[in-house]
Amino acid sequence: MKKLTSMLGLLLLLPSGALLAEPATTPSLIDQAEAARKEAAALKYEWRDTGTIITAAKDALAKGQKEESDRLASIALQQGRSAVAQAKYMEKNWKRMIPKQ
Amino acid sequence: MKRSFAERLLQIVLLIVTTLSSMPAQAVDYQRLVDADVRKFQAFFRKEFPQVKKDDFADGVYAIDPQARQQWKEVEEFPPYEPAIDEGKVLFNKPFANGKSLASCFSNGGAVRGNYPYFDEKRGEVVTLEMAINDCRVANGEKPLNGMKGDLAKISGYMTFISRGQAIHVQVRSAAAYKAYLKGKQFFYAKRGQLNMSCAGCHLQYAGRQLRSEIISPALGHTTHFPVFRLKWGEIGTLHRRYAGCNENIGAKPLEAQSEEYRDLEFFQTAMCNGLKFNGPASRK
Repeated sequence: MKKLTSMLGLLLLLPSGALLAEPATTPSLIDQAEAARKEAAALKYEWRDTGTIITAAKDALAKGQKEESDRLASIALQQGRSAVAQAKYMEKNWKRMIPKQ
Repeated sequence: MKRSFAERLLQIVLLIVTTLSSMPAQAVDYQRLVDADVRKFQAFFRKEFPQVKKDDFADGVYAIDPQARQQWKEVEEFPPYEPAIDEGKVLFNKPFANGKSLASCFSNGGAVRGNYPYFDEKRGEVVTLEMAINDCRVANGEKPLNGMKGDLAKISGYMTFISRGQAIHVQVRSAAAYKAYLKGKQFFYAKRGQLNMSCAGCHLQYAGRQLRSEIISPALGHTTHFPVFRLKWGEIGTLHRRYAGCNENIGAKPLEAQSEEYRDLEFFQTAMCNGLKFNGPASRK
């Protein structure tokens, strides 16, 4: 009976332990933003503020401000992805930007 | 037996194909393609600003804004870039550690602005005047100079000053040169940065329009007068510094001075000015 109670206790602890663990979303969001920034930079299309925003996201995380870090990393990720999309679109369509005379 | 019309037609087609395929491949005249672009580009501005004489486009925004032109001419009476030219002259003749100097790398006493930018077929890349200055330094055991401002801009300013009046005649004679030219053209027309804007968006389509308190300069004549002394900078700076500033203004991360992208852009932009004359350095707001 004692063993069964202990096992049940452990089973109950497992999910709560998972909830208590450090959420992996914040670091991965920064990593994703950094990867997108690097991809844009390789295409020579990086936007001006993306790197600065990533640095601010890292600083916020270091200070324990996870929500703020997430917010900033999301902006940086969006910027990085937009810059890559912009680069790819312009590579294909830049001639359409020449005004017709 | 009489041959059908279809058979005769087929024979003629085969004969033409055989003749054409046995002919040597005609070399592409890249300069002709570029010249066609230049004509269209310059015609756009001539149509947009019919009152402006072609040569006056070398004066940048002051060609299209009479009031600002008057003020600029007054500034040019005591040009703010003059001390930089004097310093540039000293730096141009200053011996390196090995006893040679920049003067040993350039012909005509350094009055060679009209030769740049050009496409170096051996290196397979565009060479600008500032790049050539740094190449000379490195070849003589010296460190390259900052590509945006400072001594490099002063030396380039001096060399440009003594080259005033030289004609712009960028040549594109090979597939590799044309590729670099097209890269520059792409950079000019493609939108970039957070504001999704291009060089052409402002300086071609909106040239002459008001942007806050300023009038946007026409792209025709952009590269004739660099390096410039900008009042905003309080010093003389290179064309690539201006490119970097423009990129920053539209929310794009600036590229390095003398990066391949900026050199190709300079190559394209200068080609578009073919027929104008170098008149730098100049003062700008």
